[in-house]
Amino acid sequence: MSRYQFTTEVVEEDVHLSLAELCRACHAPEEQVRVWVIEGVLEPVGASPQEWRFKGPSLRRARLALTLTRELDINAPGVALALDLMDEIAALRAELRRAGEG
Amino acid sequence: MKFKDYYQTLGVARDATPDDIKKAYRKLARKYHPDVSKEGDAEARFKEIGEAGEVLRDPEKRAAYDAAGSQWARQQAAGQGPGREQDFAPPPGWDAGYEFSGRGDADGDARDHSDFFEALFGRAARGQPRRRPEMHMAGQDHHAKVLIDLEDAYQGAQRGISLRMPALDDEGRGVLQERVLDVNIPKGIREGQHLRLAGQGGPGLGSGPAGDLYLDIAFNPHRLYRVDGRDVYLDLPVAPWEAALGASVSAPTPDGSVELTIPAGSVGGRKLRLKGKGIPGNPAGDFYVVLAIALPPSDTPKAKAAYEAFAAGSDFNPRAHLEGGTR
Repeated sequence: MSRYQFTTEVVEEDVHLSLAELCRACHAPEEQVRVWVIEGVLEPVGASPQEWRFKGPSLRRARLALTLTRELDINAPGVALALDLMDEIAALRAELRRAGEG
Repeated sequence: MKFKDYYQTLGVARDATPDDIKKAYRKLARKYHPDVSKEGDAEARFKEIGEAGEVLRDPEKRAAYDAAGSQWARQQAAGQGPGREQDFAPPPGWDAGYEFSGRGDADGDARDHSDFFEALFGRAARGQPRRRPEMHMAGQDHHAKVLIDLEDAYQGAQRGISLRMPALDDEGRGVLQERVLDVNIPKGIREGQHLRLAGQGGPGLGSGPAGDLYLDIAFNPHRLYRVDGRDVYLDLPVAPWEAALGASVSAPTPDGSVELTIPAGSVGGRKLRLKGKGIPGNPAGDFYVVLAIALPPSDTPKAKAAYEAFAAGSDFNPRAHLEGGTR
């Protein structure tokens, strides 16, 4: 067993991912990520795929989208809908927690 | 090792059609998806269902699993003695003739398989990269979930995090290697965020660079605090007279204790906000103290007398709003 040491970056705050980086980070084919962008699952800034920059939180979204696609065989519009609903559930649960119920 | 009944996991018969299996799998996968399910053991169940689905939905793996299963059943029937019935070991050479082509997820996103699965399908299923010395390719990015303490997010910390990572041994075979990483947990990290450790993922092929390692951050449940994004909540018990008359009390925060003024006339559930005392950052979160009125016990004559004196001096009716109507 060996020990390593190094510094770290917080993806959600310090990092903008290119299309290639995002694909590598979530193990998704580029074609798949392009479809997600078209369906509004992910919203990069930049005009063309070469210029796309994905904000840090896209990583979690893309990983989730991939699970839904692979494990549940949901198509891209379905993934977009599911993610929107999950966001809403998360917001409602946060509301519950704030109220001390959760 | 226990024999895992994947059919039972999915709730289907051994002769179920591929369509039945797919349907049962999807239904359960939706039900136990950890991002949706409220079941406490959702993550574990989802993993089991995923593994059962991975085997039974793949005709090659299903055939191999059935073969191993019926061989095991014959051994059981041949009476290898009680007490051995839970033990399963794949018979030597059982997998000759099966070649696992590996489905779409041969991307090495090492799903965390059970020992049973590993024993049956082992490395063959793991989609290990074949050695091609002439090829240069960046290593894969790896992901791992790590639990840290809320206090680490307040102060920042250095933590030794132990991970079992897929790696290649000298002969280019996939093995699980344990390593401990000294990771700087930056002050202000929140649950659900990721840390990227450049170059700490899978090794590159040829002269390709190593992949990155992503750590998915979650907090250990805390005895005192609830966390919501940047904000942190504490339930603070107060005596009825502290709430009624106002008081100065001390309350713990992950950053040390603070003196707090309870305004007179407070009711249970009142939230007092300590601005900027949540998880540090730009902007920093807030710390909320939620008042909970604690009733003193009336288990001594003195306490009883105090309650009686209070009752005598008060015309408080807690049920006033219920009066004047049964509709």
